[in-house]
Amino acid sequence: MLMEAILIALWAGIIGIDLYNGLTHIHRPVVTGLVVGLILGDVTTGLIVGGTLELIWMGMVPLAGAQPPNVVIGGVIGTAFGVIAGQDPKVAVGVAIPFAVAVQGLITLFFTVFAPVMHKADQYALEANAKGIERINYMGLGILFVFNAVIAFLPIYFGAERAAAFVETVPQWIIDGLSVAGGIMPAIGFAMLLRIMIKVEYIMFFIVGFILAAYLELPILAIALIGLAIALYDFYQNKNKQGPTPKEEEIADGI
Amino acid sequence: MVSNSYQYEDTASAQDLQPKQLRHLAWRSLLLQASFNYERMQAAGWLYSILPGLKVIHKNKKDLSKSMKDHMEFFNTHPFLVTFIMGVILAMEQKKEDRDAIRGIKVATMGPLGGIGDALFYLTLLPITASIGASLAVNGNILGPFVFLIMFNVIHFGVRFGLMSYGYKTGVKAISKLKEGTKHVSRAASIVGLTVVGGLIATYVSFKIDYTWTQGESELNVQTDILDQIMPAMLPLAYTLLVYWLLKKGRSPIVLIGLTVFVGLVGSFFGIM
Repeated sequence: MLMEAILIALWAGIIGIDLYNGLTHIHRPVVTGLVVGLILGDVTTGLIVGGTLELIWMGMVPLAGAQPPNVVIGGVIGTAFGVIAGQDPKVAVGVAIPFAVAVQGLITLFFTVFAPVMHKADQYALEANAKGIERINYMGLGILFVFNAVIAFLPIYFGAERAAAFVETVPQWIIDGLSVAGGIMPAIGFAMLLRIMIKVEYIMFFIVGFILAAYLELPILAIALIGLAIALYDFYQNKNKQGPTPKEEEIADGI
Repeated sequence: MVSNSYQYEDTASAQDLQPKQLRHLAWRSLLLQASFNYERMQAAGWLYSILPGLKVIHKNKKDLSKSMKDHMEFFNTHPFLVTFIMGVILAMEQKKEDRDAIRGIKVATMGPLGGIGDALFYLTLLPITASIGASLAVNGNILGPFVFLIMFNVIHFGVRFGLMSYGYKTGVKAISKLKEGTKHVSRAASIVGLTVVGGLIATYVSFKIDYTWTQGESELNVQTDILDQIMPAMLPLAYTLLVYWLLKKGRSPIVLIGLTVFVGLVGSFFGIM
């Protein structure tokens, strides 16, 4: 079992990267089913379990940055369990889901603790140190690989059922809480943008954008187009008022 | 201040980027989310993707540093459509546009493209191709995974590489027209950018109270019956403004991320979120 567990772990590491980088979608269960089936020596069962998981997982995609249950670990553990235990694919799904949810909680944590690294990146940017920026990105990839490989290895080596029992001892409120926090998290990024972009004269446009989304529930593209319409109006108004060459005096009124 | 902080020191346009260089950047864009995190999201990966282009454009070391610093700011968009923004932004960098205008265009395009990308790829292309692949696989047909991967990636890579050069050409053309009156352009870009940010907060920050107050016969849902009645998306707005205020007071984003995790855990522990 050791050899198989190592091979599956390597595959999990690779597709753990593909889930966020590359996005060739070799991380979908329909592909994982084939690969895990090959490793465990039963391609047909692998395909069937992978295909079943795929149909169930179809809607679980990272919409607008929200994190669905982790399809990488769910797919790997689900198909491996289905092939090893010869279980009905539906049961394999039941085993896969707790892992997929727990792992997504861990990914949320990883995205949180990786934030301080950005200050190192700021410093590299200030020094125009391209190598440093590249190193930080490669480090992120390395962590994703190791993280997914380890998480996939343990339950397959020690037996998925025992591992599932362990995962279920993590209190539900912690997993839920991390996912709630993940939903709120974009607020921080938007606040940082506001901090950079906002000027008193622009507040009204911010309010308009908010109203269009909150009350009228318009999609972002529509809001951008309305913003564009206002901007175009404003642009030509100003241009006509000030004549064609406002270039000199504009430089004076900086921040 | 002698030099203007919006402007680059070397304001002469750089040479055009060659198709081969653009293709190289499109390959690098595959790592857009390598350093994803909740503070800047894709910022460092975005900088990684355009970095060779910036190095060609900014021979002046100070300008390169300014530009790299700007591109470390918060960034988040759809990972397939990002190449369009890369093309436009590199065209602007190459023409040494006003740095505020570059930022404004970046922010104004990332939100809408994010929404379009989700609808196009995750809600349309993926379900179609994956269900074809899966329907073959559940019958034990080994072609299932391959059919899925080929269909999906022909479109994926076609879009990724196509948009890179399309964005670049669009950018170059649009900018030469708008070159006079950079300040107006940057003002216009800020207007679109801030309108979009206002919309993004209401759309993408998910902050809800899940608590129903029961008294005898009557039930009162705090979210739908109280908060939404006062103002929809009130909590997302309030929380964003709170974070904005704390940032202004000099709190570090890391502390604020910690605070957010704490809020989530407490809300979940008491079963109110």
